[in-house]
Formats: sequence, structure tokens, C-alpha cells
Amino acid sequence: MKRLSMPVVALGLASALALTPTPSRASAVVGEAAPAFSLSDNEGHTHSLADFAGKIVVLEWTNFQCPFVGKHYGSGHMQKLQKEYTGKGVIWLSINSSAPGKQGYFPAEKLDALIKERHAAPTAYLLDSDGTVGRLYGAKATPHMFVVDKTGRVVYAGGIDDTPSTDQADIATAKNYVAAALDEVLAGKPVTKATSAPYGCSVKYAD
Amino acid sequence: MGTTCRRQVARMKSLWGQAWMGLGLALIAASPSHGATQEAQASSEHTTVSLVAELEWVQPGEPFWVGLRLEMDEHWHTYWRNPGDAGLATRIRWTLPEGLEAGPLVWPRPERMPAGPLMSYGYEGETLLLTEITPTVPISGDSVRLQARVDWLECKEACLPGRAELHLDLPVRAATPRPAAAAEPLFREARRRLPVPAEGWQQAMSTTADGSIVLDLLPPEGTPPLPDGVYFFPMEAEVVEHAAPQRLLRAGGGYRLEVPAAANAVVPDTLRGVLVAGHDDDAVALRIDAAPAATATAAAATPPPPDSTLSLPLALAFSFLGGLILNLMPCVLPVLSLKVMALVKHGGESPARRLQHGLAYTAGVLSFFWILAGLLLALRAGGEQIGWGFQLQSPAFVAFLAALFCLISLNLFGVFEVGASLTRAGGIEAGSGLASSFWTGALATIAATPCTAPFMGSALGYALGQPPATSLLVFTLLGLGMAFPYLLLSRFEGLLRFVPRPGPWMASFKQLMGFVMMAAVVALVWLFGRQAGVNGMSLLLASLLVIGLATWLYGRGEAPGKTPRTRLASGVAAALLLLVGLGLSQAAAAAPPAGGVAEPSAEEGPWEPFSPGRLAELRAEGRPVFIDFTADWCLTCQVNHHVAFGSGRVFERMEQEGIVALRADWTQRDDRITAALASYGRQGVPLYVLHGPGPDSRPRLLPEVISEQVVLDAIDELAPPAGSS
Repeated sequence: MKRLSMPVVALGLASALALTPTPSRASAVVGEAAPAFSLSDNEGHTHSLADFAGKIVVLEWTNFQCPFVGKHYGSGHMQKLQKEYTGKGVIWLSINSSAPGKQGYFPAEKLDALIKERHAAPTAYLLDSDGTVGRLYGAKATPHMFVVDKTGRVVYAGGIDDTPSTDQADIATAKNYVAAALDEVLAGKPVTKATSAPYGCSVKYAD
Repeated sequence: MGTTCRRQVARMKSLWGQAWMGLGLALIAASPSHGATQEAQASSEHTTVSLVAELEWVQPGEPFWVGLRLEMDEHWHTYWRNPGDAGLATRIRWTLPEGLEAGPLVWPRPERMPAGPLMSYGYEGETLLLTEITPTVPISGDSVRLQARVDWLECKEACLPGRAELHLDLPVRAATPRPAAAAEPLFREARRRLPVPAEGWQQAMSTTADGSIVLDLLPPEGTPPLPDGVYFFPMEAEVVEHAAPQRLLRAGGGYRLEVPAAANAVVPDTLRGVLVAGHDDDAVALRIDAAPAATATAAAATPPPPDSTLSLPLALAFSFLGGLILNLMPCVLPVLSLKVMALVKHGGESPARRLQHGLAYTAGVLSFFWILAGLLLALRAGGEQIGWGFQLQSPAFVAFLAALFCLISLNLFGVFEVGASLTRAGGIEAGSGLASSFWTGALATIAATPCTAPFMGSALGYALGQPPATSLLVFTLLGLGMAFPYLLLSRFEGLLRFVPRPGPWMASFKQLMGFVMMAAVVALVWLFGRQAGVNGMSLLLASLLVIGLATWLYGRGEAPGKTPRTRLASGVAAALLLLVGLGLSQAAAAAPPAGGVAEPSAEEGPWEPFSPGRLAELRAEGRPVFIDFTADWCLTCQVNHHVAFGSGRVFERMEQEGIVALRADWTQRDDRITAALASYGRQGVPLYVLHGPGPDSRPRLLPEVISEQVVLDAIDELAPPAGSS
């Protein structure tokens, strides 16, 4: 009979490792530094948040198959926002955190076509298929919006506007929190409505 | 129109396309140009919605209930009023004839629907959302039509929006209405699942330094305890971190639920939501409306209590030492005796074999420490506040241990011997296999748990507060410490020189150890008596008597010279009696305590009434003082008392340090106490103040929500008086 201690010690170590908790979900907290990240886009270029230091950055979590995202793209409203604010020097990053096989996930070439079809105009469309950055920011729904100011601090985190629905007709009457926050940041004023409840489909992380 | 149709057909292949197709068709169908197509029932891809009336007809002047029924395909769900991390609450917009008003939607309790790291709240299968319709003027005519537009979101993986225009025609008659037969079971089920107002419950909300929301609840007298599995569904989004686990503490008769706040939460003035406990038919759902604890903190926030001051290497060293010392504890000593005898027995064996026994024993100790640690961590993660030794809070386990130890001591007395086949649990000293060494180690661990050596307490407290990997490390070192002496002896045969050679003295020693084991039984019976009362204790003693009889029968049957038939008969009789005995012991455990068990009351303790004069006197003497500002109507104060002072450890510590405990009872809003509160910059209760020794030390204000550890840590940090070394 060989030493019993070895398998037992191995069992102990294995159980110790198994019980080690998975990294807890972080979040982008308003007033604190936006978590750093680095992702590649649908054209294969890599972008880091650090690349845009000194600029205002919008992070837009998106999923083309979600009816809530469809409301904003189908009406042309999201594209209008993207064009307007990138024209003012704001960096607009669309981020896709859908896991492979889940709704909203497409291979890069297919995404090229979908982006062109919609005439979307982000600075870059980033692919986060393992969900790391989504979890880092605490992205829950699509669309979920974050605005980062020139000093790298989160100044807005939440929904795109105040009317949760899939109805395009609601866009005209809704108060758009992202546009309001961007206008205030561009004018050097503090953001009055810094958080709101995001609404939309859940981000399709891996199980 | 034609081009639109073709484009839509082309997109039908994609899910996106289907969603828009569905919505498009619904809108087209609902548009007035195609004629009114309001239905009593409508279906989207995966949900059928309908309006259902509770009554067969309605009276002109009486309010009545209608329901919005949502029947979802399997695995598809719709959402609650707070959908959680994502989703959309079902919405209804009524078009009613003049004079009729619709109340808000009344929602049955929701289910939790986790999806990866996210959490939503809603319904699967089928649900009925209720609305009360009230006629403000009597309804004219003999029929009334209710119209509604319903919007919802149905999701499985993908989400599809749903919209329907529904109508419901109801006859109007003067006579008292009958319930609609088909709808009766639907309404009954829905009402069963409605949250009820928490009548008579005291509710208070606080926040902790680390940003959690604390909900304190105290039910009225006589309320049965909440079933396991308690969860708070917040009414509003962006208040609570929906996916995070919530921790429940049962404190006295009340409850404290720690709910992590959302990352960018704006904590509201009142915490509103639904508390659900239990599952299915046993579930209890309460409407919660918790105002903040009666306190206004005008002063700057008190500093949060520091993390445990014990560093990891120190904790590990203490664990090892603690494990060593465990060998001397009265609960372990009898098992130690078995170890010693086994050692002596192995005195003539080869060194390798002896070492193997030592390692097998160590393995047994470590395995069971890990099992117990794993259980503790799992339960703690599940949200219950338990400490080491929790298994001894279960009367059934105590009864089982008492029976086991009784069996062992009878074996040691020689009432019965155990054959080679029972090497495992019964005759530990008889078996010489490695398995028996393993099980000796295991038994030693089980016996050790009620005894925690003095400074092992803080190492364990530290361990339980750390991530699971660290906790396991601490428990491992504990086990190693406990197994160490035996392991040492098994490795270094030289030390065995100090162990006497086998001889006739072994029989006497064995029987003496039997008495030591009996002492452990006495201790367990005493503990059982505290838990189950005198009657339960007597029942347990009776069961031990029956077990004793069983072993005697078995022993007599095994005596030399008995025929196989006698052996069989006595064996069977013994087994039956053993079962009866064990059954009796479990029955004793299940019996409710008679005459009440005197649990340490959180309201007792060394409290002196507070007065400014007494405080000044004590401060002049340089005595450290702990002041508890409390009031009967302050729920958070009451829960704090249970959580922090319930076990009595804080009082012991205060006595050790010479801290005088003053209680300032503000129930009648005594002016002197109001002034005292103001002197610390506070306007309300709870408030906990700790003055260190020495007349010049600054007071330390504890947070609003305290626990035993918070108070003990604060006492630890008391600076020594100025001028003393």
C-alpha cells in the first residue's frame, strides 16, 4: 500500500482550487476611472482605451438582433448620434459581447456587411466574444451606454434614454441621456443625470 | 406596400426579420384601416395573451377584478414590474367607457431567471396579472366592453416584443355575480402568489460602510419562521445588484438581509420590494416598505472597521498550534487514548508500516477537516451565519455522537468485542489495517469540533471571512497540527522508547479509557439536554440504555462455547435493539424542548444604566467604556443586539479588558441622552461609542450596523492608556 497522503493532498489542492471563486463582476462606477481594456475590431485592428486618452469616449454595447437595438438603428437614430458626435471629436466605440453561438454573434466579415447595411458610423466596432470587457464594465443589456470624459473617468453609465420600449415612435418623445451627457461634457459642465437603468435584451454572455 | 412586403419576406429567414415581421403583422392587424380586430385572445410567436374576468357578470356599481393572462411556450418568459438586469415589464393601457377606472397591475410574486452573470425577474409557463376595475358612476346598459393594448417582451435566448389589442365584453346585471367557473382556478392561483402586506412586521433599512443595503425585519409574535431560501426582489431597478447573492442572518426572532447595492445605485429613501421565502406551495411573499432606521447621521461618516488584523502567516501558525493543542482537549483525549493503544500495538511493526499508519491517520484527520470546512463554506456562501461547531447545534447529530461514543466505551469496557469485519467504525483499536487508522483520524476530527482552543477562535474567524482557498488552507493547517504528534511518533520510532511495551496493563488501561469516553458521553448528554429539555434528555438516556443492552446481548452471544444458533439469535436480537435504541435517540432529538431552553438572552449582560455623571466618573478613573444608545422602537438596534451580543463573547471580552458597558435607553426620548447623542455629533439611534482607557483617549464611533466581529475588532484596537508601557 503506497503512501495515502499524496492522493489526499492532491484532492485537497484540487478542491481548494475548485472552490476558488471566479473573478467577481467589476463595474464601471460613475466618478471613477474607466477600466482599461484592449479589443480588436471587425477589420482586425486592435484598439485600447488608452489609445483615446484625452478624448471623450462613448461605449455602446450592441446586438443587431435585439429588438431594442433595432429600434434605434431601424429608425436611423443611433447612426445620427454617432455621426453627430464623432463629428465633434468624440470617440464612439460599439462593443459586441455576444458569445459564439448566441444571439448577436457574427463572424467579422458578416459584421462588415451588417454595419454597412445600417450605415452605422462608430469610430470602431469592437469584438468582445469572450465577454471579458462586458463583465469588466458590468454591461447588462443592449443598448447599455457609458461615457468617459477626457480625464478617463466614467461620467455616465446607463440606458440610452428614459423610455424603455421597442417602439420607434417613442424615440421622438424620449429624453436621450447620452446626448445630454455628451453635450454637457463637451461644454465642460458636470453631467446632471449620470446614471439611469439600462433597458434592452440581456447581453448574451457565455453560460 | 408591395415593395415593403417583398423586403420583409426576404428578411424572414433571420430572427431579426421574424421579430420585425411579427411586430409588423401585429401593427397592420391592429391598425384601424383594417377594421377593429380586437380579440379576447391574441398570440405572438411564443405567448398567448387574453383578458379574463373573474365574474360571470358585473353589477353596475361594484368594482370587479379582471386578469391579463399570459401563457408562454416552454422556456419562454415575460417580465415582472422590475425586469432586473434586462428585459421589459409587461404593460397594459386601458380604453374604458366613461365612468370606469382601472387600477394598477397587481403582480404575483416573480421568479428569478439567471442567465450567465445576469439576473432577470419574471414569469415562466403562465401568469395572471390582476387589475381592479372600479365604476365611479353606475354602469349603464346591459353590457360593458373593456379594451386594452398590451405590450410585453418574451424571451428565451432571443427576445421578441409582443403587442396585442384585446377586448373583454361583460354582461351587466343587478344580481350578485357568480364567479366564472373557467377562470376560478386561474384567479385562485394568482391570488395565492400575490405578495401580502407585511402586517405587524417592523422593517428598517440601513446601509453598511462597504455599500451593502441592510434590511432588518422583525415579525409580530407568533409568526412562524420564514422557510429557507429568502430573496428580496427590489421594486426599482438600479438599486440592488440583481445577480449578487443576498445574505440572511436569523437574529433572535427577526431577520437581517444583506443585499449588495448596484454599482451606480442611488439608494432610495425607502426600500420597496417583495421578499420571497421558500418555494412553490410553501412560499411566503411579503411586500416590503422599509424606512431607514430612526437615525440621522449629521456627523461625518464613521470610519469603516478595518479588516481582520490577523495576517495570513500568523493565522496559519495559530492554526497549526491550535491543532496541536486540540490533542489535549477533553473531547479529543478519549480518541487520543485509542491512538496511543494502536501505537503501542504497532510497536513491534516495521518502521515503514508504522509511518503508513501515521500517514493514514493524518489523511483521515485532513479529509474530515476538509469535509467540515467545505460544508461550512458552502453554507456560509448560501447565506446562513454559522460558526465552527455548527453541527453540534443539531440535536440529531449530538444524539448520534452520544450513541456512538457510548458504543465505543462499552467496547472498551469489554462488554462486546468486534470481529475483523467491523474494523471500520466499531472496534477501532481491534483493527490493525490502514483503514482503521484512517477512521481513527476521522473520528478524532469529529470529536474535536466542539472544542476550540482559545486562540484558535480568531484564526477561524479570520478563515471564515476569507476567500475559500485561504479558508481551506487554514483548516488544513489545523488538521496537520492535530495529526502531527501521532505522525511524529509513527515516523520516529526512537520516541516510542518512551511508550511502554505491551503487557497486562493494557487491559486495565483500555477499561480506564472507557471511562474517559463515558465522560464525553456525559458532556454530550448535557449539551443535548440544553437543546431538547429534560424530557428529551431522558429519552436519550433511555436510548443509550437500550443500546447498552443490545451490546451486552451481542457480547453474550459471541462468548466462546455458544452454539451457532444462539449466536445468530443474540446477534439478531442485538441488531433489533440497536435499531430501537438509535430510533429512540433520534426521536429524542425531534422532540420539541419542554419547558423552554434557556438561551443566552441578548438583553441580559453587564449593562449599567447610562448617566452623564457615571460616564464622567468612569472617564476620570481612566476606565474604558462602551456605550450602547438604543431604544425599544429601534428595530436596527434590536437586531444589532442579537447579532453582536447574542453569543456572549463580547461581554466576556469586555470583562477581560475591564470595559464598563453602559446602556442609554432612549425609548422615552430622555433629554440627557439626547444631549449625550449630540455631544457625539448624532441625532438618533443606534449609536455605539467605545472610549479607550485613559481619560484623554478619543471616543471611537462604531457603524450603524454592527456584528460581533465589528465590536471585537474595535476592542482590539483600543490604544493602551497614555503613559503606560
